[in-house]
Amino acid sequence: MQLHRERVALEESGAHLVLIGQATPRHAAHFRRRQGIDLPVLADEKRESYRAAGAKIATLGELLGPKVAAKGLVSSLRSRQPQGRTIGHPAQLGGAMIVRPDGSIAWSHMSEDASDNASPDEILAVLRQTSAA
Amino acid sequence: MGIIGTASERQHAHPPARADEIGEIELPDQDGVQHRLGDYWKESPAILVWLRHYG
Repeated sequence: MQLHRERVALEESGAHLVLIGQATPRHAAHFRRRQGIDLPVLADEKRESYRAAGAKIATLGELLGPKVAAKGLVSSLRSRQPQGRTIGHPAQLGGAMIVRPDGSIAWSHMSEDASDNASPDEILAVLRQTSAA
Repeated sequence: MGIIGTASERQHAHPPARADEIGEIELPDQDGVQHRLGDYWKESPAILVWLRHYG
């Protein structure tokens, strides 16, 4: 939930931050409560937006390989939060995208494996460039 | 399809150049209220984050 912590900086740039997850609104509500976030969380049970965004389905190695396991362990230790139960398609990967008001995509980072996540710093840098343009 | 629904062959993520198709999609939020994704970037840029899972 690094992005949530950077939320103020992100919203000061004038952008809307939207989280989209798999499964149902009930799961989305539970996730918000458990993570202590007040951002809207949308529920894409059929993963329609995942497909439209070009998010991929991982191989077993991309989910559980040594690089992924090592990064996951470090992330869990830093956040002091172990990964909970996976809800939804277990091999569905995610990503992030910045969309301009004209509908063009300023930047995207769709994960290539389970450890491959865009950093908030990278997103902020692109947002600042997008806002300045 | 492999174990637990994994891909049997490596794929590559392929995001589109434009979000027109994404913008037409409507999804419910945590309270069941429907939102059209395109409405989020009508006035200002939007950052969309697709979570791998809710865990």
